[in-house]
Formats: sequence, structure tokens, C-alpha cells
Amino acid sequence: MRIICFLKAILDPEAPPGAIRFAGKVESGEVATVLGPFEGNALELSVQIAQASAGGFVAVAMGDAAQDIALRKALALGAERAVRVDAPAGFQDPLAVARRLKAAAEEAGGADVYVFGRQAGDWDMGVTAGLFAGLMDLPFAPLVQHAEVVGANLRLRREIAGGYEESLRVAPLVVSVTNGPLTLMRLPKVKDVMLANRKPIDVLQAAAEPSLEIAEIAQAQVTRQGRMITGDAAQQAAGLAAELRRFLVAGGGN
Amino acid sequence: MRIAVLAHLQDVGEAPVREAMGLMAQLGGEAQTLLLAPAAQPAVAAMGEVRLGVHAALADPDPEMAYAAALRLLGDQAPGLLLMPEGPLFEMIGARLAGHFGMSAVRDVDAVELAGEAVVLRKGAYGGKAYVRVRATGGVVAALRAGAFPAAEPPAGSAAEVQLGELPEGGQERKTVRDTAGDDLGRAKVIVSGGRGLGSAEGYESLRPFARMLGASLGASRAAVDEGWASPAQQVGITGRKVAPELYLAIGISGASQHLSGMSGSRLVIAVNRDEHAPIFEAADIGVVADWYQLWPHLQKALEG
Repeated sequence: MRIICFLKAILDPEAPPGAIRFAGKVESGEVATVLGPFEGNALELSVQIAQASAGGFVAVAMGDAAQDIALRKALALGAERAVRVDAPAGFQDPLAVARRLKAAAEEAGGADVYVFGRQAGDWDMGVTAGLFAGLMDLPFAPLVQHAEVVGANLRLRREIAGGYEESLRVAPLVVSVTNGPLTLMRLPKVKDVMLANRKPIDVLQAAAEPSLEIAEIAQAQVTRQGRMITGDAAQQAAGLAAELRRFLVAGGGN
Repeated sequence: MRIAVLAHLQDVGEAPVREAMGLMAQLGGEAQTLLLAPAAQPAVAAMGEVRLGVHAALADPDPEMAYAAALRLLGDQAPGLLLMPEGPLFEMIGARLAGHFGMSAVRDVDAVELAGEAVVLRKGAYGGKAYVRVRATGGVVAALRAGAFPAAEPPAGSAAEVQLGELPEGGQERKTVRDTAGDDLGRAKVIVSGGRGLGSAEGYESLRPFARMLGASLGASRAAVDEGWASPAQQVGITGRKVAPELYLAIGISGASQHLSGMSGSRLVIAVNRDEHAPIFEAADIGVVADWYQLWPHLQKALEG
């Protein structure tokens, strides 16, 4: 099967609170740029489908050169080719992104399976895969946890409310991948990482007019004024038990 | 501007649909409510003027079925603003419909205003650390955060039933398996959640007797789900379930921002973690810097006593 895997590098979502500041713009400070967690899941699923079907995959990202970190990871895990759709860093309208990724997909000769992460952990939009499916007029299977290659088709396990769905889907189609034990990204071999660093990344120009722009960005107020229960384990347990009892007596609880 | 609400009654229940209708009424303009359901619904008659697309297969729709059904209900002309409750239907078809009609799409929306022909929407970003207002021109599909808008009490109207005809099957050999593990998280008043700090599946299991004592439901962080200790249905976070219990206990959870935004609606948050610098303590009302395995025997005794 031919696969196109769409990736995005983002500011480390595990960065401690306050490390990234939001005041009219994103101030990233010293926070590193990393492959988005769900894009790691998407990359893993792409590798699995490519291997099981004796096929191959092309990795595509959009943005400035900071995106190369995502593409190099894909190259280290066996991507045949890496393509970066050139764009400035920062927020992009997801519809315009989907249009430009469609242009990249067409330039790459199309695919049987288009693989996205469920949601990039920066703007938390979570709509690009669906928009892409709508533009391509292709079926869309969201929240895939596992894929099994069955001839020219895929048996997909998808997360649904309160459980999962399994069904056989006919290619071509678009999938978004969610996290789980079966889509944990494997680690590339050191030798493959070294080789990947020497491989070319093709830069593609594709334009699309945005219809969505950021009007304001601000820090969310989430911090609570916490009180610590101190002492040794027995004292802490007594303090915590008192708090829990107070809560339960006040009528809380199921 | 033409505004429409599109929802599947079964997948989110009546309240989020009424909230979307309330927002639509408040925004004014030409309004339309489009609902999908497996059969005629008595509840719908009390929801005002509604176009109801009925098909038995919508009891448990495949994404392809839901997409075809929604397209038939919407017709050729998309509204300028399509409001959908955040939930399974939006996940399956919301953004795809937007792409089909050349509209943009925004989810997790908690405020909407019209500015001439533009729509300004507010949403969370960076795992809840920031919020943004985005201005959409050229049409937008918005997924509304549950509880963010006052529900409408529309005048009694009539539901016009729309026959959807044959719907495509989508996937073959389809089966759905319901995992009841996380079923009650959405309405739980007390949740005990475990994370990577518990160290193992056995460690996670040790939360069960504690949860039982409190009458709590069991949740998990993304790390605990990735490790296979808990089922994906139990994952609390911006990408799992958003919960709002009266009491949320985070045990061995460091507090990645995506987790924090899933439980930030909790009334009282208590965190237990070995690492005093864990971000979870910044989101907690009460913190205990302790090793759960040393704390638990004492806590058990104190709660039983």
C-alpha cells in the first residue's frame, strides 16, 4: 500500500506550566520543538501498514525548517521521501492547511491511505484530517487505534464513545490516529537516525488563501491556590482522610 | 447569516443540543435545527421547529452512514455557521462536512459572536494553557463545548421528518464493542485517576479499593493508557474524556497540560505525587507530596477507622 503520513512538530507539550507564555503571541522561550505526540502515533501506524503490505510511505509536514525534526524522524523510520510544504511558523487556517496538504499529496502521486494524528498539541484544532477528507471526497475513519492489512483493504479498530469499532475499510481513505498501546511510536536505530540526517527534504510551494485568522491569544487562568498536607506518611494520611471525610459528610460523593 | 444546528440526539443527549439551539437563537438570523435519530423522537416535538432525519441504522452509525445522512439533511447549501455539539458525530463528520463545503472548522468552542459576515469564536489552545479568538470568514463549522452556553427552551413546534433513503454501509464486517470501564466518568461525582507514577498495572489496580471506599469512578492519564494499565475509555484529558466531578483525586499523575485541561472543571482537586515540582500541584486545591504505596496503608486504616 502507498501511504502518505502527515506530521507536525510542535512546542514540547510536556513543557512545565509557564514555560510558554501567551500574550498577543506565543513566546516559546527555551521550550524545544518536538514531534507532536499523536503524530508519533500516526508515524507508527504508517510504518506498520507499510511493513505489513510491503508498501511504502511518504512523510509530509507543513511549516518552516523547524518542521524538519518531524520529517527526519520519519526518514529514520523508513519513509521513502520527506516533503515540507513551505509556510511560516505559527497559526495557520486548518482549511488552508488541508488545501496545501492536498496539493502535496497530489504532487506525491496520491496514496491508498492518508494518515494524520488525531490533533496537534499546539492549537488543538483536531480538524485537519476531516477537512482533508472532505476536500479529497474520500471516506474518513477517525480515532484509529490499530490497523490490520487484509489484501488491499484495512481492518481498522477505532475508538468510539465508550468502546471501539472494528470494520474492514476499502482504500483509498483518510484516517486519524489516536494513542494506545498499539500505536506507541517505536524508536529508530541510531544508525538510521544518522543516515536520515543526510537525506534530502523536498520543499514544496503551495498556496491557499486563509479564511480563519487569530484575532486574540491570551493566557488561560487555570492555577488554583493549593494547600499542602505535610508530615510523615501517617500524618499525611490522617490529614487527607480528614479532608475526604469532610467532603463525604458535606454530601459529596456518588 | 444563515445558522443551523446539526446533532445526533443519541450520541450527546438533549442538553448539548438545547445549548446549541440557545446559542443559535441568541445570535439571531435565519435558524434551522437538523437532527439525526434512529426513529421518530417524542422529545423532539418539544424542541421547536426541527428537521429530523430518521434511519434505523443511526442507532449506531458508521462514519460513512452518518456523513451521507447529514449531507441529505443539509442539502446543497451549507449555512454560514453550522453549530454542532462537541461529541462523536462531530468527530466523525464535522470537519469532513466543512471540507466538503469549503468551510473552516473549529472545535472546543466556548464563545461565539457575529461580526458582520465574520464569525468570531473562542477556544482553548496549547492543552488549555491558552485561549484564542479566531475570526472566520467564508463559513465555519463549530463544535461547541458542553455546558458553555445556556440551553434554549424553544416554543413547542413540529418536527418535519425527512426520509433519508438508503445509506451507504461504509465498513464491512463491522462490530462495535462497548467498554463500560469509563462509562460513568462523565457523570461521576468522585473520580480517582492514576498515572505513570504508579509504576505498573498492579500499581494502578491498587487504586480500586480506594475508589470503592469513596464510591468513585476510576480514571487514568494518557500515560497509564499508553502503558496498557487502563482502558482508553478511562482516559481523562483534552484528548480523552473531559470530566467535571465534585472531587477529583490525581494519584501519581504529573499533570501534563493535556490532562489538566480534561479535569479543570472539577470542583475540588486533590493530588498525590512523589515529585513536589509536579505541575499537577499547580492545578490542585490540596496536595500531598508522598509515595502512594507508603501513604495508602495509612490512608486505608484512617478511612476505615
